[in-house]
Amino acid sequence: MNSSGEIEALIGVGILLTALFLQSESFVSPLVRGIALQSLLLGGLLGWLAWSQQSLDLALLAVLAVAIRAGFIPWVLGRQIRAFRWRLREVHAAQRVTGHALAAIALAIVAWFVFQETLASIFPQPGGALPFVLLVEGLLMLATRTNTIVQVIGYLEEENAVVYAGALFAPRFPLFVEVVVFLDVLGVVLVGVILSIQRDVTGTPEGSALEELAG
Amino acid sequence: MIVTGAPLAIYLLFAAPAAGALLALVPIAGVGRLAARAASLVALAASVGLLVASASGRWGPYIGVDALSDLFLFTVTAIYATSAWYSDRYLRAVHRPFLTPQVYYALLSAFAFTMISALLVTDLGLMWIGIEATTVSSALLIVLERRPTSVEAAWRYTLIASAGLTVALFALLLLYTDTGTLDAIRLAAAPPAATLPVLMAVALALVGYGTKIGLFPMHTWLPDAHSEAPSPISAMFSGVLLPTALYAFLRVYRVLGTAPPSSIRDLLLTFGLVTAVVGAFLLQSQRSYKRMFAYSSMEVMGLALTGVAIGGVALYGALLLIVAHAFVKSAAFYCSGNVLRATGTTRIDDVRDLRTQLPWTGGAWVLSSLGVTGAPPFGTFVGELLIVVGAVEVGADWVAVVVLIAIFLAFVGVNGQVGRMVFGESPAGRSPAAVGTDTGFEIPYLNVGVALALGVASLPYLAPIVRSATVLLGGAVP
Repeated sequence: MNSSGEIEALIGVGILLTALFLQSESFVSPLVRGIALQSLLLGGLLGWLAWSQQSLDLALLAVLAVAIRAGFIPWVLGRQIRAFRWRLREVHAAQRVTGHALAAIALAIVAWFVFQETLASIFPQPGGALPFVLLVEGLLMLATRTNTIVQVIGYLEEENAVVYAGALFAPRFPLFVEVVVFLDVLGVVLVGVILSIQRDVTGTPEGSALEELAG
Repeated sequence: MIVTGAPLAIYLLFAAPAAGALLALVPIAGVGRLAARAASLVALAASVGLLVASASGRWGPYIGVDALSDLFLFTVTAIYATSAWYSDRYLRAVHRPFLTPQVYYALLSAFAFTMISALLVTDLGLMWIGIEATTVSSALLIVLERRPTSVEAAWRYTLIASAGLTVALFALLLLYTDTGTLDAIRLAAAPPAATLPVLMAVALALVGYGTKIGLFPMHTWLPDAHSEAPSPISAMFSGVLLPTALYAFLRVYRVLGTAPPSSIRDLLLTFGLVTAVVGAFLLQSQRSYKRMFAYSSMEVMGLALTGVAIGGVALYGALLLIVAHAFVKSAAFYCSGNVLRATGTTRIDDVRDLRTQLPWTGGAWVLSSLGVTGAPPFGTFVGELLIVVGAVEVGADWVAVVVLIAIFLAFVGVNGQVGRMVFGESPAGRSPAAVGTDTGFEIPYLNVGVALALGVASLPYLAPIVRSATVLLGGAVP
């Protein structure tokens, strides 16, 4: 592996560590800071790739990652947490943190092996399995958490995974910047609009098993 | 090939809903409604123009139409038009709506615009953007009635659909890495070798777009969003949003050529059959009639995917089923809206004796329910019959049996409940919810009529385009 590949893999491992941290945390404010750090690391990786490949698209993606997912959305989420006047802890996850952490590590290992067995020969890039693992971790977060702010963080992690994969495997993927802009718009709609409506209507970010939505 | 004669229709299909969305925001009473209605009619006329011309070809590097897109464009614009015309009465009955009528109509047209855009583009990346944009444009419509359940439903819809679509984007990344292009027409004309990345791309696209199609087990957003959205939007969700997502998947599936590997066909068959059976079972136990119809949509999409997997004449059946279902299911949801406006409840147990209280709506509801569940002579019956025949033709008798079980369960479940609500007497000592006036039944009858005509007659322009679309996908016509 050359030094460029080592730097990419090193940042990728940092991104993976933030993903595992997010799975094992039930307090919401550290989760918001965690996803901001993950997006910042991704922005750094994209900036490095943009510089090494002289790619304007990758540079734009780096700017989007830092400005929107490391900056704007975490800032809005922070305001939402204060607006909810809430204890800053995900109620349902609080008792299951150890289980979440173990499941996240187990899933990461399984995802890694699945990638090595199926796609590693097609995507031989250093750390090629990392975006795949990150995608699975984001899906796990969406599936297991009930707090809407934490679910937004799961969504952002998934988006980071897709951007990571695109930059690593297919940097010339057409319209990739536009696609990421759309994903960011959806993220902003999620945090800026639906969370606000939820605050007005239900007064809590804790998702509930509403009887009317059963069945 | 450059399309001749079609650019005006294509231009109108883009411009009309976009203009309708912008004009609806003019803060003058009634303008929003007028803008949406006018825009939907222009879009419908343009799509009919494409049908009549059997338009096929490209217009620039990213825009193009063929029989398949012509068929779906007609379906989307028709349901857009009927929903735009039906919405007024429904909105007037909503107490403290979250959206003003202007914003509601603007979002309605924007929702239609995003679906139409997804159908008009030839680039799979742009198509993905169009499908993703349908989530953005429709999520807020779900919370119109400001209930906690509506907000929860909008939230689940946005998150689950978006999570699924990121998987679909992963699929496109794989496809592009292997083929170097996302041009659906080029890929269909010269299918790449069925390498592992291509097969994985199609499988991941099935999971990704399948989330939006409502396939089990990614369907969990569907009953919530359909039941909590206002009825005209539920009609668009069930009637055309799910098929638009299926269209996007079909474009990826088409990359495998007209004879896809059996492994992928088996995957489609598994997802299709399980979805149909699970949807048919789950609708039996529903307490809300809107959720019951939502699960019925899941069952129908499962059947349609099964038809696609079988191919041949079953593929023709699947396309016919999708078109006819759009009309009858939208009619069923419009009737649900009438019943909800009149009774104030969606609980099946609280609605009885509509035969005397809302006779016109009750009649349309019975007819649309029969149509939804594939009763003869609706187009849905012909479609489902051809799926069964197609399964038998290829020697998959067990598939035909499973399909028939799903159809039977759905038929009994939906018609049993609707029959109780329309013809049943209230239990002694329990009075049904208050009932208002019987209005807004014209459009449901119109849509039921189209689905009937699709079954009993080979409709000019529409039936031939179903055949052409079937041939395009490698199927056979009866």
